[in-house]
Amino acid sequence: MKDNYMAGSAKNRKAMMTLRIIGAVIVTLVMFFPVYWLLISAFKTQSEMRMAVPTFWPETFAWQNFAEAFRVIPYARYFGNTLLMAVGTIVLQLNVALMAAYAFAKGQFKGRDTLFLLVLAALIVPEQVIFVPVYVMMSKLDWLNTFWALIVPHGASAYAIFLLRQAFKSINNDVLEAARVDGAGRFSILYKLLFPMAMPTIVTMGVLIFISSWNSYFWPLIMTNNNDMRVLTVGIAMLRDSIAGNEAMFFNVIMASSVMAIIPIVVVFTVMQKHIVAAMANSTFK
Amino acid sequence: MPMETSKQMTKAASKRATASVSKRMSHTVIEKWKDFSFAVPALLFMGVFLYYPLGYSIYLSFTNWNMTRPVKKFVGADNYTRLLSSPDFYHSLKVTFLYTFMDVVLTLAIGLLFALLLNVSSSRLFGFMRGVIFMPYYVSMVVAAMVFTWIYNGQYGLLNNVVSWFGMDPVEWLNNPSTALPALVAVSVWKGVGFAMILFIAGMRGIPAEYYEAASIDGASKFRQFRNITLPLLSPMTLFLVITSFISSMQVFQSIDVMTAGGPLKATNAIVYWIYTMAFSEFKTGRASALVMILFVIILLLTLVQFLVSRKKVHYEG
Repeated sequence: MKDNYMAGSAKNRKAMMTLRIIGAVIVTLVMFFPVYWLLISAFKTQSEMRMAVPTFWPETFAWQNFAEAFRVIPYARYFGNTLLMAVGTIVLQLNVALMAAYAFAKGQFKGRDTLFLLVLAALIVPEQVIFVPVYVMMSKLDWLNTFWALIVPHGASAYAIFLLRQAFKSINNDVLEAARVDGAGRFSILYKLLFPMAMPTIVTMGVLIFISSWNSYFWPLIMTNNNDMRVLTVGIAMLRDSIAGNEAMFFNVIMASSVMAIIPIVVVFTVMQKHIVAAMANSTFK
Repeated sequence: MPMETSKQMTKAASKRATASVSKRMSHTVIEKWKDFSFAVPALLFMGVFLYYPLGYSIYLSFTNWNMTRPVKKFVGADNYTRLLSSPDFYHSLKVTFLYTFMDVVLTLAIGLLFALLLNVSSSRLFGFMRGVIFMPYYVSMVVAAMVFTWIYNGQYGLLNNVVSWFGMDPVEWLNNPSTALPALVAVSVWKGVGFAMILFIAGMRGIPAEYYEAASIDGASKFRQFRNITLPLLSPMTLFLVITSFISSMQVFQSIDVMTAGGPLKATNAIVYWIYTMAFSEFKTGRASALVMILFVIILLLTLVQFLVSRKKVHYEG
């Protein structure tokens, strides 16, 4: 009797697993579909875009859509702008956060924990609350339409400071003490000792900053209105506005622009996925 | 717990250190200032680009400034009373909450289903599939909005083709007041379910296997195990997801800006989009700042709720 039950349950389990795999594959295909549609639409010709029944595979691969993207908007320039904004934000935000995390994790000064709370409180202030005054500030400084306006206001990230502080806290003080006895100053302790020890956190942090900067839209939309200073997200949105009257004609070009714009993200994501997922799961309750 | 011990250790170490150099008092004072100086850049950035603008926004919300005039006249609570007595405000609030409600419920429900389905460790195939499902979270919203705009296109869009298989008439999804908002929600759900799934899976993996073993020995069905073990033990994670998704949904902007521009007939005129047009197209900066503050208060209250409830529930994690 019992053997029967066991055999049945093993069979059941196998059947369940097969069902589960089928279900999961279907779900994955559905979730991937918009990306697939983006890809194939980028390769369709204008006439194929306007077919009564959409095709699921391009009749011919219209590579010229990608060249067209460079012709309609200064695509290379926007790509460069976006890259410079993202890299600049990473460099500034990481260094500011490294120093602050060091001070808050290992420093000894009055009001340290209160000041840290003040930094953490920034997490609950949304961008929309501060954009008008910062816009006014940038315009007074004559920084609108410059990289300063895109990068500098994002100099301090509470999230980065918080995560790096966690990483530094887990490093034993004896190591620092030994370095100090050897005559190392704060900067060399931070950059030569703590930096390599906290490398996994720093890399993850850098990737997350890159992704959020690369995808940012609201901030660059407000801080730039000059055609040369657009970033990709804003440029693509503008591309659509400029041809709104004749959407279907040009949606293939918009899709081609979009495909090129997400390549860096997909590459970074694919390489770093494990670290990103771990960071996500870790940052929830602490 | 480990954090506390390390804190105690640092405290003890610092006491020892202070005692040993107590003779050279000025030296330690300098050291403390040097320690503090490393926090200065971050504090400066936060002060200039966060706390000062926050205060300035509050101030602006009590003025009638229109951004082009140099003069700002103090008008008291006028901006607030006008907002609170305008039907547009309640309409925008309704749109925002409706969007948020649909977005949060669908994202979490589907995310939880996906988590149950895809939580198979030690399988490369499942790991890969989780990666594919999570990816939209990192695709830029503008690109996502573009793809969906094309799918929703009234004349050539895929969606109308699909509904025609079922004999339905084509719909102008984004130009129809009753479909525009759900169409926006769909984009957000597509982008967000992977994130919810990942966090739910992280929560599920934190539940001790013994609970399930004990339950199945007692003959509890899979469904009962889910209802009586998984669901309650996931509640801190669920709460976290509800509040964070709620807050980010309340701030929906990009998809509206790209896909509907607040239309048709203001059907998608959510608060942040309204703030943006009020400030930068209508130049009612003072009024927009008042709206910003109302949004901020709502978000603060939600954060407070999360803080209070999660404090109560902390013992759940064990």
